[in-house]
Amino acid sequence: MTFLVSPVANPGPTSPGPTLADFGHDPLWISIIKAVFLFVFLMVGVLMGVWTERKLISRMQHRYGPNRAGKFGLLQTVADGLKMGLKEDLMPRKVDKLLYFLAPVIIAVPAFLAFSVIPFGPVVSMFGVKTPLQLTDLPVAVLLILAMASIGVYGIVLAGWASRSPYAILGGLRSSAQVVSYEIAMGLSFVAVFLYAGTLSTSEIVAKQADGGSFALGSLNIPLPSWYAVLLIPSFLIYVLTMLGETNRVPFDLPEGEGELVGGFHTEYSSSLKFAMFMLAEYVNVFVVSGVATTLFLGGWRAPWPISLWDGANVGWWPMLWFFAKLVLLFCFFVWVRASLPRVRYDQLMHFGWKVLIPLNLAWILMVASFRALRVDNSPLVIVLMAIVVVGALGVYFRFDTVLQRRREQRAAQEAEEFDQLRDQPTAGGFPVPALDLPHYHGATTGLNRKEVPSA
Amino acid sequence: MNTITAPAIEYLQLAPLLIVFGAGILGVLVEAFAPRYLRRAMHIPLTLLSLAGAFALVIVQTIKGVPTKPSAMGAVAVDGPTLFIWGTILVLAFISLLLLNDEDHFVPAASAVPGSAEEERALIEGNVHTEVYPLALFAIGGMLLFPASNDLLIMFVALEVMSLPLYLLCGLARRRRLLSQESAMKYFLLGAFSSAFFLYGTALLYGYAGSVDLAKISTALSANVGQDALLFTGAALLGVGLLFKIGAAPFQAWKPDVYQGAPTPVTALMASGTLVAAFGALLRVFWVAIGELDWDWSPIMWGVAILTMVVGAILAITQTDIKRMLAYSSIAHAGFLLVGVVAIGDAKQNATALAAILFYLAVYGIASIGAFAIVTMVRDAGGEAWHLSRWAGLGKRSPKLAGLFAFFLLAFAGIPLTSGFFGKYAVFQAAVAGGAVQLVVVGVVASAVAAFFYVRVIVLMFFNDPAPDGPTVVLPSWGTASVVGFAALATVVLGVFPQPVLDLAQSAAGSLFVR
Amino acid sequence: MGETVTFWVLAVASVAAALGLVFSRKAVYSALMLGVVMLSLAVLYAVQDAPFLAAVQIIVYTGAVMMLFLFVLMLVGVDSSDSLVETLRGQRFWAFLAGLGFAVLLALGFGNVVFAAPTGLAAVNQAGNVPSLAEAIFTRYVFAFEVTSALLITAALGAMVLAHRERAEAKATQKDLSRARFVAFGETGANPASLPGPGTYARHNAIDMPALLPDGSISQLSVNRHLARHTEELLEERSGELDASETPVAEITEGENSK
Repeated sequence: MTFLVSPVANPGPTSPGPTLADFGHDPLWISIIKAVFLFVFLMVGVLMGVWTERKLISRMQHRYGPNRAGKFGLLQTVADGLKMGLKEDLMPRKVDKLLYFLAPVIIAVPAFLAFSVIPFGPVVSMFGVKTPLQLTDLPVAVLLILAMASIGVYGIVLAGWASRSPYAILGGLRSSAQVVSYEIAMGLSFVAVFLYAGTLSTSEIVAKQADGGSFALGSLNIPLPSWYAVLLIPSFLIYVLTMLGETNRVPFDLPEGEGELVGGFHTEYSSSLKFAMFMLAEYVNVFVVSGVATTLFLGGWRAPWPISLWDGANVGWWPMLWFFAKLVLLFCFFVWVRASLPRVRYDQLMHFGWKVLIPLNLAWILMVASFRALRVDNSPLVIVLMAIVVVGALGVYFRFDTVLQRRREQRAAQEAEEFDQLRDQPTAGGFPVPALDLPHYHGATTGLNRKEVPSA
Repeated sequence: MNTITAPAIEYLQLAPLLIVFGAGILGVLVEAFAPRYLRRAMHIPLTLLSLAGAFALVIVQTIKGVPTKPSAMGAVAVDGPTLFIWGTILVLAFISLLLLNDEDHFVPAASAVPGSAEEERALIEGNVHTEVYPLALFAIGGMLLFPASNDLLIMFVALEVMSLPLYLLCGLARRRRLLSQESAMKYFLLGAFSSAFFLYGTALLYGYAGSVDLAKISTALSANVGQDALLFTGAALLGVGLLFKIGAAPFQAWKPDVYQGAPTPVTALMASGTLVAAFGALLRVFWVAIGELDWDWSPIMWGVAILTMVVGAILAITQTDIKRMLAYSSIAHAGFLLVGVVAIGDAKQNATALAAILFYLAVYGIASIGAFAIVTMVRDAGGEAWHLSRWAGLGKRSPKLAGLFAFFLLAFAGIPLTSGFFGKYAVFQAAVAGGAVQLVVVGVVASAVAAFFYVRVIVLMFFNDPAPDGPTVVLPSWGTASVVGFAALATVVLGVFPQPVLDLAQSAAGSLFVR
Repeated sequence: MGETVTFWVLAVASVAAALGLVFSRKAVYSALMLGVVMLSLAVLYAVQDAPFLAAVQIIVYTGAVMMLFLFVLMLVGVDSSDSLVETLRGQRFWAFLAGLGFAVLLALGFGNVVFAAPTGLAAVNQAGNVPSLAEAIFTRYVFAFEVTSALLITAALGAMVLAHRERAEAKATQKDLSRARFVAFGETGANPASLPGPGTYARHNAIDMPALLPDGSISQLSVNRHLARHTEELLEERSGELDASETPVAEITEGENSK
């Protein structure tokens, strides 16, 4: 009878988990259960997420946050949601009615779809059916997530355009430019993972992170870390930055920069259900990028190190807990960032995305690819290559360091000269300033290493 | 984990291509990292040396023996005709680049609105778009790849690689900016349109043969019977794309506008290099892929050839602008060359016709670069003097220049003792041998009509009185002077003593296209 | 079965969207219709066992190319109707006729098409869709793949040539700007600070309510002049029905001065 049981469908405790071959056999009702679960999970997640964010950020700012509706204010979001549902749905007179109506839908639906390829756990038995804890998987699952993100941008840009209001359209264009730009860096940060995992399917990427293998250095076997977050740390760091940019969160929340754009692309959406859709999409997107980070970089549903010593950690329903814990921690990271950082200026944002993240990423991919290719050949060149890279990086660093140092000194000298000049004639050039040698100005020249940035 | 066997690339055979593309990429790096004042000084040797190196490698390849198999996993066919075409294109490109190298053909700031203060300022500051060198190199790389492509996919890529830089270069003329931009726009839109035809045809032929390989399409002709709809439509659409590139009627409309608006060195590059490359590709598609189908396509090609010759020759008469006239003359010459394409037959006949076409392409390319080089030297206050009336009496004011121009025109007309005579003679002879006598008669009549307007310009230059405020002839730079000198010398030598090059063309054509 | 149903649904959707693209009056709608066509194509690819192509189609075409289209349309505002003057008389008629003829020709040609037996997706995708594709790209078509890079470099270079403007002098920093403002102040007395906001020290903070200066007079600078004109009209209109709590600005100043 043993030959009837396929080796993949019945994983032992050491099995790395489901592969692509495990998908596509679910009966319809199982798929429906999974889909409904995902939907409910995300909806409840948004309700709880908003509450968590408000609570957490309040504590970080020494206040209590919502604490009236329900125990600990738990029902606050529910109350807000109900309010939004009951409010009058205003449709401004001049808007493009069809697109104004469609935009919130376009932004929300892909966000939900992207979650269908995020693995929650290994193969479990669900009402007697063996099935992986993942709605579906594709050979190109990660690309599907990127594709969904790029469809979601339409919601933003159309919401801005359909509103027929300058603030909204500027907000929409700014926001979509930002998302599209950061999507490129995001996609590039996946490339190293693909190179290492050798697959684009999410379940298999998780499986590949089960065991890092080892690196033979002469006779010494060094075990390699299994999480890509450690192994490919530049990719992970870049991904974390792009994930903030992609979801329009602080410090990249320019689209909603209230100070500049009123409300950004959804200025004209009064706080009705349509607005609620934007909120929903924003939070679901945060969950999606957190889920992707978990899956691609943080070992997916697999238990973190001390727990993974327990044999039962990676079988059955337990992994869902690890996945959920990682998701929540990542979400808390978003909140932490929001509480800590100010918003960047738009030109700085674009500059950072295009001129820092993308080139860095490309250089890193080049390095990973050559490293990978040489390691496949088992060539001793690996060591040489690593040495070259390290030396090169140090060289670049020192070069920049000296250049920047020189520039700083030059600027300090220039400013000192200006101060000298102004000291001689206090009203030079019509400046209505008091004399610059007043006692409390002493030491002012020491603070000259401020960076002067051209305004947008 | 499944592994992929690394593809075998014959680097030596592809070396001319790789050198040109590599130099283009180096040029882009120069643009990115070199300081502005150094760029030109770095581009000129880089560009010229890479072309010379590529030419040397072509010669090495020829001496080492012509490969008999396609290279790069069957993507590129480096065969006898390809090597001849590569050599021709590289020589033509080299002398075009000497011309292009001259100062003040290109706009100082392409992004500035024509005639704006910004443009003026860039001009005063002495800005130059040194990007034209890498762009030209990419275009030349595309020209090399286009006739050597062994499958339709790479042919399409090569077509785009060749055309895209040319679209850009067309819009960069320093003077008559609007005309230049209009020409770039027209060329781009029509070129994109023709590329779409090419791609559509490729898709249909792929549907027919199950492959984009020229050789496999050819074998499918005998294997797949009864799917003629896909085959004929596909071949026709592919033909439209290719005929557009050579400027055959009825797809010739872009040529005068583009030739007129583009900076004259770029026009010279297009009139020579692009024409050679496009003819190489056309021959490869029509002779290799659907060569067995010649009963079906040759009547259409007859029509196209006749129409092209007639349209080119007759419309040239009505032109009053020297560059437009040369453009129509180029159309007429494309027609004469098509006469050779129709002369398909058995292997020996094919070799004769191919050799004739190759020789014609080489001599026509050189003469047309010479003619355009002279156009750059006749200047008015607002730039080159294009209107024919301005050329009146030029022979009395600077007889040497006018004499050289007259000589090139006579070569275009195919007067004996010029290279053009032997070119035309070889093609017509091959066509007669191939049984296309009526076509040759039309060709001769069209030649006579064409000779009329060439001679008219000569008469205008030598027997009319010069206008009092006529154009000045600038003192040529060493580049322009050597271009004109080389072109004139080549035209004379090949007109008197064409045998070595004819032999070379025949030996190149002897092996025909590899399959 | 499923594939057939999908095909017919998407065929109708994409043809309808393509017609909408041609006939819709707003450029943005046309662009969106094109997006729908591209999405339908992507789904068709996915149904035909080409998931990689489907994903790339969405990411590249729908996500990047169409988005750029939309950007241009929205920024340039191509909604205004174009000039439809025909420079060549009757060209639209002839173009329509030729296009129709071409379409009929193609339709007739393809109506009778017989295809050779296909290799079959199962055979092609044997090693998996992505690896098979990778093998085709990196062996047989590797040269075309590499040469495409020349095309991309050309495109990038061309975009730089045609669109990039070199800055003649360094961009003014915030410091430079502030310096210039004060120099202007020293020379002409122009206000170097930002304008006062509306409603400051006044009774309302509405956008058309002028701010009051420390001496109680109103600050003309605090209200946009278009709004200010509006305010005056409003004040005149309502002057009859004002009660004590809504005293016009001018009166407030007078009243306080008289105290």
